[in-house]
Amino acid sequence: MTARKLKNSLMGFLVAASAGLLIAVLAVIVWHIFISGVRYLNWDFFTKAPAPFGESGGGVFNAIVGTFLITLVAAAIGTPFGMFAGIYVAEHRGQRFADIVRLCADALQGIPSIVIGIFGYTFLVARFRSYSALSASVALAFMFVPTTARVTEEVLNLVPSGLKEAAYALGARRSSVVWNVSIKTAAAGITSGLLTSMARIAGETAPLLFTAFGSRYIEWNMLRPMSALPLQIYIYASSPYPALQQQAWSAAFVLVLLILLLQFGAKHLIARVLRVKA
Amino acid sequence: MAVQPSRSDRRELVRERAFTAAGLTAAVALVTTIVLFLVQLFITSRASRAAFGIPFLWRSEWNPVTEQFGALPMIIGTLITGFGALLISTPFALGIAIFLADYAGKKAAEPVKYLIGLLGGLPSVIFGLWGLFVLVPIVSRFEVWFGKLVGSEALVASGTTGVGLLAAILLLAIMILPFSASLILESLLVVPMELKEGALALGATKWDTIQNVELPYVRRSMVGALVLSLGRALGETMAVTMVIGNGMRLPHSLFDPANTLASAIANQFLEATSPVYIASLIQLALILFVIAIVINIAARVILRRGVQQ
Repeated sequence: MTARKLKNSLMGFLVAASAGLLIAVLAVIVWHIFISGVRYLNWDFFTKAPAPFGESGGGVFNAIVGTFLITLVAAAIGTPFGMFAGIYVAEHRGQRFADIVRLCADALQGIPSIVIGIFGYTFLVARFRSYSALSASVALAFMFVPTTARVTEEVLNLVPSGLKEAAYALGARRSSVVWNVSIKTAAAGITSGLLTSMARIAGETAPLLFTAFGSRYIEWNMLRPMSALPLQIYIYASSPYPALQQQAWSAAFVLVLLILLLQFGAKHLIARVLRVKA
Repeated sequence: MAVQPSRSDRRELVRERAFTAAGLTAAVALVTTIVLFLVQLFITSRASRAAFGIPFLWRSEWNPVTEQFGALPMIIGTLITGFGALLISTPFALGIAIFLADYAGKKAAEPVKYLIGLLGGLPSVIFGLWGLFVLVPIVSRFEVWFGKLVGSEALVASGTTGVGLLAAILLLAIMILPFSASLILESLLVVPMELKEGALALGATKWDTIQNVELPYVRRSMVGALVLSLGRALGETMAVTMVIGNGMRLPHSLFDPANTLASAIANQFLEATSPVYIASLIQLALILFVIAIVINIAARVILRRGVQQ
């Protein structure tokens, strides 16, 4: 066997090994979350607020409520901006300003989450002198908008131009072509993109630290401090009490489950919708 | 005879105008966001610049008690963790991407890609939790072993916590791996089949082809991918915050507790009470913001050129 062939086999082995390593690392992390997370799960964990200091038991219902409220409100604020920006870029493809908008969306996706958190604090919390879930939602919306804009644009670019041209030929205006042809054709893809963006912001901690702040009580008022699962995980993991650390693992398990569910929904539910339509 | 526009026509016209306005508004809002961030962070960090000026960037003292602040320890910490993680993860990311592009059949590639997406989608705080309770104890044992190996009493005594630069680098390397692997894979997939087939037809082995045809072809977009990964690593917050140890001084070894720009803010912002302290932390955020924007735009420009080429 020549050196060349030997090298070929060796490199083949190495690239396969690096893929194997990635799977192994992922397996170890998921294994730890599952094993340490499931152990402490019980009904109280899902239905109760944290127990008062010094008492055992309690749950993270406050954080579950918070994660849902904060994420949904952020998505509600961010969706119109993201979608319309995406539509704008897709409809003005090749134009200079559309290129700049796309570049800004890409750059905004790269803003570190902690910077978003600080911005949320100085922009809203400091101005209105109170921590609130709403300020957290606004901060997360700043992460939601660029992702949604990019996904919307990409999906709209997939709509066959023949469909749109047919509509234009019938005398339709741009708005009705976009609404009735492009968006309807791309609806499944856009919904899937929205779910993916939601999965991303649902797991964010840093933007919530100085905005939502956290709360030990089950809170439904968006104008008051509120907890969320990632926040609860961070606070509990940093605490010196083993009971709280256990709850951090369980909360991590619930959060990962929630995110997987959203991602799964994004992938498979949409595939089903497409199949039914076809 | 002039045709009067019907009511439905007028309604459609209004809708058309509203639609155009909405698109333009959203697009302008997106661009303005970057300016808004810059201005907001610049204004609220004024007190720090008034106290320390530009030397804030290279002052190495960070002392909340005496209210002396300088960003150097955090800038150094950010650079060491970012480049360290990139250095460790890049060979693996490259390996995974090559495996998926050239070795794995479709049946093997799809599940691996799915797992990469899964790992990349895990929240930062989950990595932090795992890092704190699983990785840090391992690093701690390694430190003691290493200390004994080189005969460093100080290391054996002080390095037993395991939190510090090394733990942060390792955790970051794991976290950016799926990101850089999928970016590199994307660039590998655009290499024209004819080029590879040509090399193979000349008798090159698979690896010869990868080394001499494929990798040179994607060199530029690979640089873009790595720059983007670096940007991701530099700004990563929660996981690093949880394992780096909130050290305020310039680190002297990889085992020392340290801070990155991001972790200093996350660790200290809620404790900061004096205006100068708060402004200095916001100043760190401003530095981080500028670094992130520059890196991201540079990477996109490199990537776009790579595609055009």
